[in-house]
Amino acid sequence: MLINFVYIKRDTPVHRLDPRVKWILLFAYAFSVMQTVNFWFTLFGFIGAAFYYSQAHLKWSETKRPWLFILFLTAILVFVNYFMSGGAIVQGVDLSHQHILYMLPFFGVTAKPPFITTTSIIFSVESITFLLTQAMRNISIAMLALPVTYTTDPGLTGVAFNGMGVPDKLSYAIDLSLRFLPSIVRDFGTTLDAQRARGFEIEKMRGGFFGKVVRLAPLLVPVIIGSIVGAEDIINAMELRCFGLGKRSWLTELHARQIDRIIITLSITLFICVTFLDIIGSIHTQGALHFLHTQGIPLTK
Amino acid sequence: MAITERQERSPSRIWGIGVRQIVFMALGAALYAGVSYATNSLQLPGASNVSLRPGIVIPVFFGAVFGPWVGLFTGGVGNLINDLLTGPIYWNWDLGNGIIGFVSGLALFITWGRYRSVRNIITAEIFGVVAIIVGLGFAAYSDIWVSALTPLTATTTEFVPATIPDLVLSIILLPILLVAYSAAIGRTGRA
Repeated sequence: MLINFVYIKRDTPVHRLDPRVKWILLFAYAFSVMQTVNFWFTLFGFIGAAFYYSQAHLKWSETKRPWLFILFLTAILVFVNYFMSGGAIVQGVDLSHQHILYMLPFFGVTAKPPFITTTSIIFSVESITFLLTQAMRNISIAMLALPVTYTTDPGLTGVAFNGMGVPDKLSYAIDLSLRFLPSIVRDFGTTLDAQRARGFEIEKMRGGFFGKVVRLAPLLVPVIIGSIVGAEDIINAMELRCFGLGKRSWLTELHARQIDRIIITLSITLFICVTFLDIIGSIHTQGALHFLHTQGIPLTK
Repeated sequence: MAITERQERSPSRIWGIGVRQIVFMALGAALYAGVSYATNSLQLPGASNVSLRPGIVIPVFFGAVFGPWVGLFTGGVGNLINDLLTGPIYWNWDLGNGIIGFVSGLALFITWGRYRSVRNIITAEIFGVVAIIVGLGFAAYSDIWVSALTPLTATTTEFVPATIPDLVLSIILLPILLVAYSAAIGRTGRA
């Protein structure tokens, strides 16, 4: 059994970015966009994320599988969320004066038996705007997340996290786990073949759900316990080489360029500003400072 | 170097991060990612359209045996590596898996990593159940802010479908692993 990371080695503007930049940008944007339901802010972020993704030059054929999963998951979450809440999903926005376009007869959930009742789903300008905002939010975060895996060498993950302040030991553990991975998958394949030779058929497991779970044990237990016992040699080797007694150096050193520093600064500034405006907007319920808590649709009441 | 019982049962044994913990962190994360990847590609048949994710027992097991920090790393980084193998990164689910391992590791305060008695195995089981509920609860309900879901949607589309199969897997597989581990360690003389 082979294992392959999705990393694609290529020379693009995003590939040339420091790995730390991609992680910081992803988290700063995700934590910022989470704090608002404003359509225009989310649209601005969506356009920016789309531009960033375009600079990675990833082909549809290379990313089709994760994108289909992301789009499917987004559609499920957005529409299931809408129907299960009866159209009243807009968060943090005053819905007392909705501009209702249509009402669709549907089922709703109640707290009293029989727990299901007939109700109407409201399709209003506000709720449809929120649907779009929610979808843009999820897809824009995905457009920042996918380049992290497709354009970053997995071998640089440990040194990148060390560069972001993670202690040496934990960063080394991240590197070590990536080195263990091919061995684990190879052992899994070997164990599977050995058990198949003894009549274990994983594709044709009999029994109900519980029976199938129990029948997984001959596959999992040898791999896990065998790996733990084998790790004792690695522990001894590392202790004999005085691992952890001094500051660690890395074979690969990351050097941030001017563009990397600019993007990191802008990302952190964005997050701080959005958080500040979010807090201030909670206190000032009117006016410009409150804009992150409004959808920004210019409708009259 | 001989270790006294007081040293063996000291808080540093639970919260300390030495060479052993680093190696088992890395091993646990690799096992969690590798088993998840391998069982995904095998497309395990489920029952009643419920897919099996047997790797969930790994952060619970590693937490219960090696401590909360090892469990946290196994679950969090293991899930992150699995994301690196499949494409999209869902940070709140990575953190939720880390919480599973961390809470499982709190069983060490009672069991001290020894699972030769039924009492200790049951203790680990109870902590594992609580850990899965807390960890997957965090992951699912944080999507209320991350993906702007309603609590009802987060419960019905994420929390319940993820938690119930994982609870069953952990409850059935964890004792098997603990007994096998105790037997293996007994033979190596590290018991």
